[in-house]
Amino acid sequence: MKKLLAVAAALFAASTFAQEPIRIGVITDRVGVSKPYSEPCTEGTLFGAAEINRKGGVLGRKIELLVEDDQSRPDISAALARKLIDQGAVFILSMSLTPATQQQQTVTMDAKTPQMTPMNSGDTLTTQLPNPYFWQTGPLGSIQIATLLAHARAQNLKRVALISDNSDLGQLLARFFRAGLEKSGIQIVTEEVVPRGATTAEPQMQKIRAVNPDAMFMAGVLTAENVLIFKAYRQFGLKFPIHSSYNLSVPVYMSVAKGLIDGVTFVDAYDPDKPEVKQFIAEYTKATGKAPFNLHGYGYDGIMLVAEAIRRAGSTDKEKIREAMQQTSYAGVMGAKGMKYSFPEGKRAGFDPDGMVVRVYEGDRQGRVVHVGQK
Amino acid sequence: MQDFLELAVSAAASGCIYGLIALAYLLMIRPTGIINFAVGEWAMVGAFGGYLLLSKFEWPYPLGMAAVLVFMLGVGWLTERIAVRPLVERGAPLLAPILALLGMLVVFREAISVSFPPDPHPVPYALGIQHQSFFIIAVTSVVFIGVWLFFERSVAGKSFEAVAIHRRAAALMGINLSRVTALSFAGGAGAAGLAGLLVSPNVSAHYLMGVPLAIQGFTALVIGGVGRVEGALLGGLLLAFAEQLTVRYAPLPAGYAQGVPLLLLMMFLLVRPTGLLRAK
Repeated sequence: MKKLLAVAAALFAASTFAQEPIRIGVITDRVGVSKPYSEPCTEGTLFGAAEINRKGGVLGRKIELLVEDDQSRPDISAALARKLIDQGAVFILSMSLTPATQQQQTVTMDAKTPQMTPMNSGDTLTTQLPNPYFWQTGPLGSIQIATLLAHARAQNLKRVALISDNSDLGQLLARFFRAGLEKSGIQIVTEEVVPRGATTAEPQMQKIRAVNPDAMFMAGVLTAENVLIFKAYRQFGLKFPIHSSYNLSVPVYMSVAKGLIDGVTFVDAYDPDKPEVKQFIAEYTKATGKAPFNLHGYGYDGIMLVAEAIRRAGSTDKEKIREAMQQTSYAGVMGAKGMKYSFPEGKRAGFDPDGMVVRVYEGDRQGRVVHVGQK
Repeated sequence: MQDFLELAVSAAASGCIYGLIALAYLLMIRPTGIINFAVGEWAMVGAFGGYLLLSKFEWPYPLGMAAVLVFMLGVGWLTERIAVRPLVERGAPLLAPILALLGMLVVFREAISVSFPPDPHPVPYALGIQHQSFFIIAVTSVVFIGVWLFFERSVAGKSFEAVAIHRRAAALMGINLSRVTALSFAGGAGAAGLAGLLVSPNVSAHYLMGVPLAIQGFTALVIGGVGRVEGALLGGLLLAFAEQLTVRYAPLPAGYAQGVPLLLLMMFLLVRPTGLLRAK
C-alpha cells in the first residue's frame, strides 16, 4: 500500500511539473553601468526561484525565469519587455537602471502585464505613469534621506556640506538630500560634484574643508568617485562626520575603501540581526558557497513577492495577479525587524517608510544598526 | 597657500595621467596617422593587471609593475597584428583601422567585464596614500624623459620621426614600416597601461574606467599638439590644472566646472588645431 501511495505521489508530482512552467521575465543589466547592482540582485532572484521550485513550485507549476540584458539602456529595455511578454511572461521583474525600468512601463501598461522593480529607488517611478500594473518595492530615495535625517537630527546639525557625483541617480539623490535638509532647517553651506571619471576629489574637499561644516552628506552612487572623496577626507585629516546614501551599503567599499571608512554612517535596508536575514544568509551560503549581501536580498524578496501574489491569485491570469499583488502583505529579507511590504490604497510603492535603518562602518566592516525608521 | 600647494600636487598627478594617455595616442598617430580610441581600454587592462598581480597575487610592486608593462607592450603589438596590419597590407583607407580599433575597444571592455566580477577592484599604492601623487609624477617624468631621449637621441627614434614625416620616403630609405607601426602600438599600449596602473589605486580597477581616460587623454593631446612628445605632457598638465583650479576657485555652481575640458577642447580645435607645440 505504501509503495502504491509513493508511486501515486511521484506520478502526481511528475504530472504537475510536466505542466507548462510559469514564465517570469527578468530584465537586468549584465554589461552596463548598473551591472554591479543588477547582477547580485539577479543572483538573489535566481536563488529564490530555485528555492520555490525545490519546494514544489507555485500552483503546482515550476517557475521559469526568462532573463534578458538591457545594458541599462531604456531603448533596448522597452523592446525586451515586449519580447518577454511575447514569450509568455506573466510578470516582469525589472533590475536595471531607473530610466530603463520607466521605459519598460510603457510596454507593460499597454500589454496589461504586471511588472515590479525590487531594487530601483527613484521616487517618481510609480507616480509619472498611471500604470496599475507596476509596483516598486525598493526603498524610495526620499525614505532614505528622511531616515538619515532622522538620525542626524539627534546630532543637532546646523551647517552641512553636500557632495554627489554627476550620474543621473546621484543628482536625483542630491535633490532629495537638498530638499530634506532644507525642510529640516539645516543649512547647506556648500554643495560639490565629483564628475564621473575624475582622478581626484581634492579640490572639492578643499572647498568643503574651507567652510568647516558640522557634517557632510554624500549622495553619490559611483563607487570610484566616492572612494576619491574618502581618500581626500583622510589625506586632509578631516574630522566632521560623514552620512551617506544607501550606496555605502554595498560591501565593495570594504575592499576598495579599506582603511578609509571607519565611522561613516549609511542608510541600509538590511538588518544583519533580523531572523529572516540570518536564515537567508545561511541558506544562500549553503547553496552557492558564497555569502549574500543586501542586493541579493532585494532580488530574493522580489521573486518571493511575485510567487506569493500568483499563489494568492490562484491562476496566472494577469488581471488576477494584479489584484493579488495590490493586496500584498509580506515580511521579507529586506527592511527593519518586523517590516512588511504592502501597497496602501492607491499606492504602488511598497517599502515601509519606517523600514530603513542607519548603520555605521566599524573599521572596514559594515557594523551595527544605530537608528531605525524616520522617528 | 597650503590649499594651492596641495592642489598643485594633485593637479600635477592628474595631469601626468592625462599626459601618459595623450602620449599613447601620440606614439601611434605620429608614424601611422591612426587615432586609436581604445587607449582608455588599454589603461583599464593595465589597471586590472595591477589588481591581479599586486592585490590578488601580492607580487612586490616593482616586479608587478614591470610585468604589467611587459604584458601591455605585448597587448599593443598583438592589437596591431590583429586589427591594423591586415587592413594596411590590403591597402584599406585610413578609416578602416580606426574603426577596427573601435571594435577592439569593445572587445577589451567586454573581455574584462565577463572575466571579473562587476564591482571595482582595489589596487594597492606603491608608497602609501600620502605619496601616490609624487610617485605618479616621478614615474611619468621618467617615461617622458625616456621617450624624449629615444626620439631625439637614438637612430631608432629618428626612424619613427622619418616615418612620421613621409612614410614612402622612409620606406625607400630602408626603414621597416611594419616594425615601426608594431612598435608604436606596443609603446602606446605600454604608456596607456602604465597610466591605468598608476591611477588605479585612486579610482580602483573598473571595467568602465577606460572611456573617461580616453576622453581626457585626447583633450590633452589636442591642447599639447601631436607634433612633439613634450606636448602630450604639457597638454595633460594644462588640462588638469584648468579643471582643478576651476573647481576650487571659480565662482561657479557645483558641477559647472565639468565643462572646462570641453571648452578647452573646442577652443583649441577652433583657434589652434595644431596644439600648443608644433612639430620641429
